Amino acid sequence: MSIARLRTLVALELTQRIRSVAWYVMLGIFALLLIGATVLAFTAFRAFASNGAGSGIYSTVVYIVLLLAVLVSPTLSGNAVNGDRDAATLAPVQVTLATTGEIILGKFLAAWITGLAFAVVAAPFMLLATAAGGVSGWVVVVSLVVLIVEIGVVAAIGVGLSGLVARPLFSVAATYLVVAALTVGTLLAFGLGGASIQSQATTYTRDLSYPGDAPACGMWQPDSGTYLDCGRERPPAPECGEWRASTYTVPRFDYVWWLLAANPFVILADATPTTLDPTYGGPVDLFGSIKAGVRQAQIAPELERRFDQCDPETFGGDAYLVDRTPYDEILATTAPSWFVGLLVQLVLAVGLLLGAWARTRTPARRLPPGTRIA
Amino acid sequence: MGDADVVVADVRRSFGTVAAVRGASLEARTGRVTGLVGPNGSGKTTLMLMLASLLAPDAGEIRVAGIDPVAEPQRVRALLGWMPDSLGAWGSLTARETIVVTGRLYGMSRGDAQGRASALLDEVGLGPLQGAPARILSRGQKQRLGLARALVHEPRVLLLDEPASGLDPQARVELRVLLRRLAAEGRTILISSHVLSELEEVVDDAVFLVAGETVAADRVAAAGRRERPWRIRLADAATSGEPPLARIAAALGRPATDLEIDRGEILVRIGADEEALRALRALIADGLPVVEFAAATGRLEHTFLDLGRGEAP
Repeated sequence: MSIARLRTLVALELTQRIRSVAWYVMLGIFALLLIGATVLAFTAFRAFASNGAGSGIYSTVVYIVLLLAVLVSPTLSGNAVNGDRDAATLAPVQVTLATTGEIILGKFLAAWITGLAFAVVAAPFMLLATAAGGVSGWVVVVSLVVLIVEIGVVAAIGVGLSGLVARPLFSVAATYLVVAALTVGTLLAFGLGGASIQSQATTYTRDLSYPGDAPACGMWQPDSGTYLDCGRERPPAPECGEWRASTYTVPRFDYVWWLLAANPFVILADATPTTLDPTYGGPVDLFGSIKAGVRQAQIAPELERRFDQCDPETFGGDAYLVDRTPYDEILATTAPSWFVGLLVQLVLAVGLLLGAWARTRTPARRLPPGTRIA
Repeated sequence: MGDADVVVADVRRSFGTVAAVRGASLEARTGRVTGLVGPNGSGKTTLMLMLASLLAPDAGEIRVAGIDPVAEPQRVRALLGWMPDSLGAWGSLTARETIVVTGRLYGMSRGDAQGRASALLDEVGLGPLQGAPARILSRGQKQRLGLARALVHEPRVLLLDEPASGLDPQARVELRVLLRRLAAEGRTILISSHVLSELEEVVDDAVFLVAGETVAADRVAAAGRRERPWRIRLADAATSGEPPLARIAAALGRPATDLEIDRGEILVRIGADEEALRALRALIADGLPVVEFAAATGRLEHTFLDLGRGEAP
């Protein structure tokens, strides 16, 4: 592995990209999109944030960069190797002293740097967001590191598939499919999987009732619409009624929550430290909201609940409402999954790059069907 | 026999069920230009790719400067310049940048690569175009850029796949001069082409590849001796009342049906050199004003066409 040759290869890729007009048009459109999104985010988050709207705006900008990188990267990297082979520019590099490893790594680094250009264009918007206040330094550091790694993962998937699949059109499509599987696919699998695994939940209720069917005193009389005073008489003691059971089905997202672990948007949310709003207890940014949502899915639903009017302990005025666990408790009691998801992605990315390396090695023994070496 | 820098021994390579090279053996000697001649689809490019260390043979052995390109591709690549038949150029890079990048990939320093680029581009006649992006170059200019790219690291062995296609006559002459000079410097040059007239002028040796197999030397020699058309032109063909065909036939003592007229000239089939000598003497002795007496096809072309017919020697 020669650093000079690797640098030459990366520079070669980047020079060709820099000299294409389409590339600047794309970055321009992206900048326009970011302007719109930032303006909207400023308006939206100013309305409900007690300690500065910056966190919400910042996380929105980062998510848009990730979205764009995920959407555009496959076209930038998905034909890196086979596109060169089609243009007959791969073999002239392969006959030089540049090794296959250097060629593949150079293409991956170039695709990564290209993807990072989106983050660079977005940098002023991120700065603007932090200026609105409330963005913690750790959030910036962690979210940017994760963003950079995710852009690299998509670039690696694209370069890897472009070395494994013979035709550029198919490898770009395959890259889109893999990226879609990670982003939309995991979400669909989570939603459908959780909804189809169902459990029976039962609610037991026991009411207080009054003996007899004569209108008892000391109570509101629904028939006459008056209150019947008992006078000196003691009101009749209520009696505990029978337990009544009602059953219903609940989706079991706690069995499938791990499906979301490899989702790039979830990884970004789950890895980034969360700040809770001091006044209403909720997360201050999109990262936190998504993290709380995903973490909540880990918590198994209560399959048996009792509402006993005879027991003042369990039957308070808001007994029906205590269902909701506070955010800090959710975050504290559930497991972070971002490193598992990231590991899965890295294994996939490295595996595809190694596959591309094996397929591109020269002197070639087996060629992908339907291809020429030069 | 001099040293052979390229040795191919019974090499085979197939793609799936298609056998592209079915048994190629050749030697290209140091300081000489060896032509690889064969019809389209005869396996020339596949053989070149194997020599260029891009494709591994299924069987057989290859040695480039004594090194096995399958076992040690890196060492072979340092000694080898390859010019592919497909013109792959980085469209947005200038001619100069293309050479500099290639030089850098061969491990040259930036300064060396820059200097080499200037010298090479002048040598192949692209000096005035060195700042032009490769995509605006004509086919012939790209071809010359490809040649410059193959020469950047001063390789000991040169593999040129159809180097003259797309070149104008002037550029072909320049290519010929350049190749002769490179060979004189002690390099081994293997050049493939199916434009035989142009190979004829530059090669020292020729290897014939037919249907994936190199043709044995004795069969080549036999094909070269077979009779071929000779062209005879008389100075007074237009002014003399007598038709030239009849006069020549009479002088050679052959029936007029043996001869053909082609654009005012006469074609006669003549075998080996001794027979040609006898025929020329007979024409002169008869007092015919012969101004042209030459083989109508080149030796390579003749041999090639003869082999292509698939006749046994």
